[in-house]
Formats: sequence, C-alpha cells, structure tokens
Amino acid sequence: METNNITVGLPRAMLYYRYRILWGVFFQELGVKTVVSGPTDRDILEQGSALAIDEACLSLKIYLGHVHALLGQCDYILLPRVSNFGHHRNMCTRFEAMPDLTKNVFRDTQQKFLTCNIDVLAGEDEEDAFLSLGRQLGFGPKAAKRAYKLAKKADQAQHKARVQKQEELSRREGLKILLAGHSYVVEDPYIGKVVTDYLKAAGVTPLRADLVEREHALKRSRELSPTCKWEISREILGGIDLRKGQVDGIILIGAFPCGPDAMVNELITRRVRGVPILNLVLDSQTGTAGVETRLESFIDIIRLKEGML
Amino acid sequence: MAEAKRRSISFPRYAEYGCALKYIMEQALDVKYVMPPALTKHTMELGTKYSPDYVCTPFKTVLGSMIEALEAGADTLIMTHGLCRLGYYGELLEQILRDLGYQFDFINLSDYDMDKKKEYIKIIRRINPKVNPARCLAQFMEGLRMVEYLDEITGEYYKGCGFDPTGTEYKRAYQDFLTAMYTAHCRSDVETGYRAAKGRLQSIPLDKPAQPLRVGVVGEFYTAMDAFSNLELEQKLADMRVEVHRWMTMTNQFLHYGNGQKNLRIKIQDLCQYDMGPTATANIWYARQCAERGFDGLIHIKSAGCTPEIDVMPVLQNISADYKIPVLYLTYDVQTSDVGLQTRLEAFYDMIAMRKKVF
Repeated sequence: METNNITVGLPRAMLYYRYRILWGVFFQELGVKTVVSGPTDRDILEQGSALAIDEACLSLKIYLGHVHALLGQCDYILLPRVSNFGHHRNMCTRFEAMPDLTKNVFRDTQQKFLTCNIDVLAGEDEEDAFLSLGRQLGFGPKAAKRAYKLAKKADQAQHKARVQKQEELSRREGLKILLAGHSYVVEDPYIGKVVTDYLKAAGVTPLRADLVEREHALKRSRELSPTCKWEISREILGGIDLRKGQVDGIILIGAFPCGPDAMVNELITRRVRGVPILNLVLDSQTGTAGVETRLESFIDIIRLKEGML
Repeated sequence: MAEAKRRSISFPRYAEYGCALKYIMEQALDVKYVMPPALTKHTMELGTKYSPDYVCTPFKTVLGSMIEALEAGADTLIMTHGLCRLGYYGELLEQILRDLGYQFDFINLSDYDMDKKKEYIKIIRRINPKVNPARCLAQFMEGLRMVEYLDEITGEYYKGCGFDPTGTEYKRAYQDFLTAMYTAHCRSDVETGYRAAKGRLQSIPLDKPAQPLRVGVVGEFYTAMDAFSNLELEQKLADMRVEVHRWMTMTNQFLHYGNGQKNLRIKIQDLCQYDMGPTATANIWYARQCAERGFDGLIHIKSAGCTPEIDVMPVLQNISADYKIPVLYLTYDVQTSDVGLQTRLEAFYDMIAMRKKVF
C-alpha cells in the first residue's frame, strides 16, 4: 500500500533521542515522509520558554520550541504519550501529559497532531501504540505491524552498537568520566552537548550511563534504589552501578527543574561512595563559561586526587 | 522481636486526616499512634534544611513532620506510595533520616505492589503480626467512614462559614467536630460527633445573599487540602464572605473513585484525550464544572515544582478563556508569605466582586 504524500513532523526533543530510529524506520517503511525540527538553538529555546508555563522544566520548554518550529511544515506532528512500561516502570508524569498539554498550548493553530500511547498497565504496549499510529495514518494492522517489526529490529541493532561502543570506550586508557543524565539533555546540542565537547577537548573520555543493556540495567538499578520507578532513571542508576568502578568521576546532568532528577540525583550522591560526583544542573543560560569552569575544576580535582596534577 | 513491643507508629501530618489514621492504627491494628505535632514554621525549616533543593514542597513538609514525629517518640514511620514523585518520597526520606542518625523502622508502601490485595495483608502483618486482618476490617471501614465525614463537614463548613452572622458559632461547631474525631474510640463516637456537627451547622441561620460569590478551588493533592500548607486559603476566602467549593478530597479522589476516573473524562474529552497526571482529570473536570455552573472564579493551588499540576495549567488557561472565568494561579513554596497571599486574594476578590456587579 504505497501511499499518499503524508509528512509527519518529529520534534527533535525529549523522546526523539530515544525513539528516533524506531520512528524513522517505521515511517520510512510505511512510505511516510518525516521532517525533523532543526537542532536546538537560542530561538527555539526562547520560543519554547514563551509558550511554556514559567515553572516547567527546561526540557519541556525546548520541546515546545521544537513543536513550534514544525508548525505548518508537515501534515501531522507526532506527540507520543508514554505513561509506563509496567509496574515500577513509569515515566515522569510529564510524558503522560505531553500530547494533551501540547495540543492545549497550540489549540489556536491549524496544526494537526498524531498521538500514540504506551501505557502497559492499562493494556497498551509499544506495539499497540505503533499499530494505532499506523491506523491514524490509514494503514492496516498488517502493514503497520511489519513496519514496526523492522523498526524494532533496527532500533535494537543500533542500541546494541551504541552499548558496544561504550564497552570499548570503558576499556580506554586515561581519564574517564561517566555522564549520567537523560539522553534528551546529554545529547541536546544546545544544553548538554557542551559538556561532552568540553570533556573531549580536555582529553577526558566521556562515558554514558544510559547507554547500557536496558533489561540488565533495570535489574541492576535495584541495587542502588529498590523503589525507583522511573524507567529512564532506573536505566541510568543501573548504568552507574555497572560503570562506577571503571570511571574516575561521575557527572549527574539534569535540566532545571527535572522532577525525577531532583530526587534520584540526591539519592545517588548519598549512596554512591568512592567516586567523585559533580551534580550539574543546566538552565537556560546564554553562555557556556559557567559550565566550563565547573567542569574544569571537577577535572582538576580528579587529577589532583589521582596524583596526575 | 517485633512482637515483644507494641509499635509507636506515625505518619506525617496531612490536613486533618491524622484523626482517621489514628483511629485505624489504634482501633483496627492495635498499635500506638503518635500524632506528629501540628505543622509550624519550624517544621518547614527542619524539612527544608535537609531536603534536596528543587524537590516539591510537600517533601520538605513531610520530612520536617517526620523528624518531629520521631522526636515525639515514634519508633515506626509509615510512608505512602503515589503516582507522581510521591511514590519516591519514601526511599529518599528514609535515606535522609538515616543519614541524620535517627533510628526507626520504616514501612514504605512503595515497596509493595499496591494493586494486589495480598500486599495489604502483608503490610497489616508487618505493622502488627498479632492482628487478624479479617477481624480488623470493621474498624478499618469505620476509619474510612471518618474520612468521608471529615470531608463532608469540612466542605460544608467552608461553604457556609463566611455567612455566619455570629462570626464564631460556625467555627466553634467545626472545631468541636474535629475534637470529636481526634478523640473517637469507637463507632458511636464517630457517628455522634458527625451527627452533632451536621445538626449544629444546619441549625445556624446563615446570612447568605441570593447570589453569593462562589470560588472553586482546584489543585495539587497535598497543598490544596492541607490548610497549613496553603496558608489557610479557604478560611481567608470564607472570611471575605465567599462560598468556597473544593472537589479534591481524600473521599472523592480515593474512596469514591478508587477504580480510575474514566467517567470524569467523558465530559472533558475535547480538552484532554488521556490522563495527564494523578489528579489532572479530576481537576480539569471540576474546573470546567465550576465554569459551567457560573462560578465567579477559580483558584489553582500547587506547590513549587509540582510537575503534574504545572502541566494542567495550559488546560485551565483554555477553560478560563472559553468560559471567561478568572483563574488565580498560586504556587506555594517554603517562603510564601501570609501577607503576600492575603494581598493577592484581596485583589482577586475585588476583581470578581466587580465583575459580578458589571455582568
């Protein structure tokens, strides 16, 4: 069923960093064109901040900026909802609210939106969500299922390759620092990437806590925090537990004021011993000098501690 | 070991629900309940000092209250589970208290899968192994009944209080009711207390205009209900001769809608397709309900950093625009000042009072 000229817009924020392959391949297999908003920049952040409630987290502000950038660029904008993947496998409630919240913010525009819902406790898993996505675009379950299977395979292969890469990096010589944060913060070119870039330039190998074998990390997160219920936080906790012996320091990167991070990072600093930890909270600042100074002093402390300075 | 000593159990102060919890603990589960001291500025200072910076405010209140409960003699603390960050409160609270050096037994409901009935029996056994879960059911239900009475009388109180011509009778009846609930030992105490309060509130002739100003209160579960945390917002409004309506209570949220709020979502389908958070559906539904019933204003209450309620705000803004109903958004932090709130409420009152004359 080769179809029509539908274009779906994907905001380059939040879950995009987790699902880009899954969404990309799925739509490609269905013959649906996709358009991704550009990398986060000052304009996007400012636009998003103007649209969001002041107290919302930086990530939501960026997200709304990206949705705004896609207005009129496509037939539909994809707004996924993820409530949970099962018991004690929730997402922050913001991911539950995201599609309705966004629709309410943009209700005076003519833009049409697509939603899909992952809520395993209510009986809708990832596959159901993709089937419903297909249905909304006019594809039968067979075509959608096929596309989903292929997308899932590609996604898993890519994730495996990234985990493999982390394994290699973890065996490297020299200073290694573990970055623990949500992928949409760490990888965002405007806020989190500064950290990775700076570390690389300073000759430090950055490792990622969230790039781990997910099932294993979920189990392992129980060692550090038995009742933590946020899926992504649990993956990060598992990743920290796995890598804490291999790295020289840990940087907890959060966007202000991230709900789960406010609590989980406090717990990490109280429970993970023997490794220097920097708790870095990123806000919508214009310059990078502040962050760089803190990174520089953190690296100096580690080097001093290890007798390298 | 645990059998040898009767537990002195405590739960952080939360609105006036302490009386029902005390009843359940003492009458149904036969353990001692240590009532934490009433919340004060000191509680907040304690809580703030040891909490992470940008956690939501109730965490700080709860931590302060727990410290005060431990210092008042509790040896066991109980903490609830929850759908938002509340579900993680327990573990972090315990860690902070242990790091401070306090010794206690901690029963964290997040350790259990609260969707399964079997887990409740496990919890009861842990609180008091000598209790037969089947036998304590009656007292347990009486405790829940007390919650319903409490919410009913409280609701009635804030609707009428501002129009009491004597100025004191209504307040006294309500205080007497609370005393009766806090001191109840058996079913008849609860029933008599409730009936007496109901009778007294009804017997006071109210000096209410035909069209009083009506304000609906919506918001976050803890701050909207806990009078200390919202700086007695409802009393302040009532004192300005406003009829205060609030749907969000323990009764409505849990006892009557225990199995999800699917039926509430029907009327707000156009505003939101899914549940946007633990109390979002109810709040949006009630806000629209108030708007449709011609209320004069809405007040949205949340603590600083409450993610689900921040996310509800765009919807409330749309309701406000559609029905031309003013909404006052209040964020409570540890530093929110009483006078500041009073000023904002007076301005809000003046505005809705003027609108009522104009339209």
